[in-house]
Amino acid sequence: MEKSLEKRVEYALNYNGTGSDYFGIVIVNWLLTVVTLGIYYPWAKAKQLQYIYNSTSLNEDSFEFHGTGKEMFKGFLKAVLVFMVLYGVLGLFMYLKMPITALLLFYVLLIAVFPIAIHGSYRYRMSRSSWRGIRFGYRGDRKEFTLLFFKWIFFTIITLGIYGPWMAMNMRNYLLGNVRFGDVEFEYNGDGTDYFALNIKGYLLTIITFGIYGFWWQKELFEYYVNNLSLNREGGKIRFNSTATGGDFFKLIVVNLLILIFTLGLGYAWVVTRTLKFVFEHVEAEGNINLDALTQTEENYKDATGEDLSDFLNLDTIM
Amino acid sequence: MNNKTTAVFYDGNSSVPQQIELSLNKLNATLEFRISDGAYYKWLIKEVVFDKRATGLHLKHGSDIVQHIKIEDADFIDAVHHFRKENGHISWYQKLLDLGFAAHFGIAVVIMALIGLSYLYAIPWVAEKSVVLIPEEYDNKLGDSAWAGNEYFMNVDSKKTKLLNDFAKQLNLQNTKKLKFIVVKSAEINAFALPDGSIVVFTGILEEMKNYDELVGLLGHEASHVNNRHSMKMLCRSLSGYLFISVILGDANGIMATIGDNVNSFQSLSFSREFEHQADADGFKILLVNKVNPQGMSNLFKRLKQNNFVSIPEFLSSHPVTENRIEFIDKMIKNQKFQKVNHPQLESLFAELKQ
Repeated sequence: MEKSLEKRVEYALNYNGTGSDYFGIVIVNWLLTVVTLGIYYPWAKAKQLQYIYNSTSLNEDSFEFHGTGKEMFKGFLKAVLVFMVLYGVLGLFMYLKMPITALLLFYVLLIAVFPIAIHGSYRYRMSRSSWRGIRFGYRGDRKEFTLLFFKWIFFTIITLGIYGPWMAMNMRNYLLGNVRFGDVEFEYNGDGTDYFALNIKGYLLTIITFGIYGFWWQKELFEYYVNNLSLNREGGKIRFNSTATGGDFFKLIVVNLLILIFTLGLGYAWVVTRTLKFVFEHVEAEGNINLDALTQTEENYKDATGEDLSDFLNLDTIM
Repeated sequence: MNNKTTAVFYDGNSSVPQQIELSLNKLNATLEFRISDGAYYKWLIKEVVFDKRATGLHLKHGSDIVQHIKIEDADFIDAVHHFRKENGHISWYQKLLDLGFAAHFGIAVVIMALIGLSYLYAIPWVAEKSVVLIPEEYDNKLGDSAWAGNEYFMNVDSKKTKLLNDFAKQLNLQNTKKLKFIVVKSAEINAFALPDGSIVVFTGILEEMKNYDELVGLLGHEASHVNNRHSMKMLCRSLSGYLFISVILGDANGIMATIGDNVNSFQSLSFSREFEHQADADGFKILLVNKVNPQGMSNLFKRLKQNNFVSIPEFLSSHPVTENRIEFIDKMIKNQKFQKVNHPQLESLFAELKQ
């Protein structure tokens, strides 16, 4: 098709949210969460995600989050049920005086919850995100991912954690590689050896420089994330490139900390805004996919159980 | 006012932008437009989701196939907004958001103040009440498990343990439950009470003492912790504090939770000071009841403070600053009448313990 022959273009990624708008949302949500003794939380989360997605734009059109509080509340209840079953099994075998079996089973099941949570969270988040009405989607297979996860965890444990960077990259390759944006396919090319070397270097230099290199380490991690990501569609491609420097990260992190300290945490909304602006300002996208011609391919998926399990397990940063 | 504008339409099946002429029909309360293939749409304004963003006003319609319209014309956006306002379509959530920064800031301050107040007054009260509901057996269980965890690392001096038990038998410690005394061989200058009534005294602290009245003061102090169920109260308060924080703050805002957590540990520190203060006062009373010189307690503290100036003994550390505690006891000694009687038996047991 002629699309792949089009000349390379740059794509504009922007974050247009303001600290004071986001502050309003955070505070109103906080008020409602306090008044309802926490029950409002899923709705609050939906509103916050909606604002952030809506404030992020690609070529002047904003992204969208369709998830609702109701979906996430249902997911929350199911997630509670999962944990109740988990502790029920532990309790049952403890009651039967089989503590070894109980603990073994408990940990195997607990480890199994992680891939299920990650899988569910990806499916939900992606399916509930869109741009110009074109949904994102996640096509990973739960069973396959769970088995892979157990394999990676096993290697990580028997190598006393050394396999960790390989696990991280394998997982990222699998997860991002299964993300779709209409008929556009995501691809991530992480390599465990590179990632391992990057982290060892970062760790050692950070110690030697009393933490100062930490900002440059952060810069390299960000760069590794962004530069290895690409989008493909019918031979067309979009590549990403990070333009952030260690100095940029230094400024971002130090100013964020100062804001938090001097506002007693109330500046949180501005910290989030600054960080998101920073991220999108420092990612360049270039390629030859015509974004005016995407078609809808991904189905709706409204089960937020995985999303809420991830919330319980604090997996928010896995993206 | 402008009731017509050009806008961009997305059909929910592709990302192809389509130019449309959109009109607001106030009479029927609809938004109407025709797309390039000739189809004519009428959207009931009630069924449209409106979203004001930096990129313009976004309209969403439909549930499975979501259609989209983006409007950039400011006059038209105003017209739609007025129409929705007049017809009461603005949601209460949006109204809360529209209150503006000053109001939001005010809300934040009020919530923080309320949280602070309930933290200072409501939580301790609830904790105090809930302790009464917890049967004493749990104190014993708690003590047992604490001791079981440490037993292996502690070298119990059985001879001195017996002596200390004999020593305590001579005293009225105003205890409601049976107390058990254990002497542990260790250079550490420390003593502590477990909720089941076990009072553990290290040989290190015994060596520091010069007179039996100091030991009575120490035992009185520790016995007070048991009598008042301080461990259980501490547990209840930090648990309810933790629960409170995670319910109210934990999920609303990560930063708030961190601040809250720190406040919680700070709070339990001052809480333990409160308990130490009570134990000092009770220990003092026990000295009086047993007609032992109350100066012993003050002497013990002074000695511990002098001899260990580099590292404050654990027994004193988490506490009202030692200076204040000494002052507090000295003041009581001054203000209260007391009787001193010689206790030859205590004296001889103490001498044996010191060997």
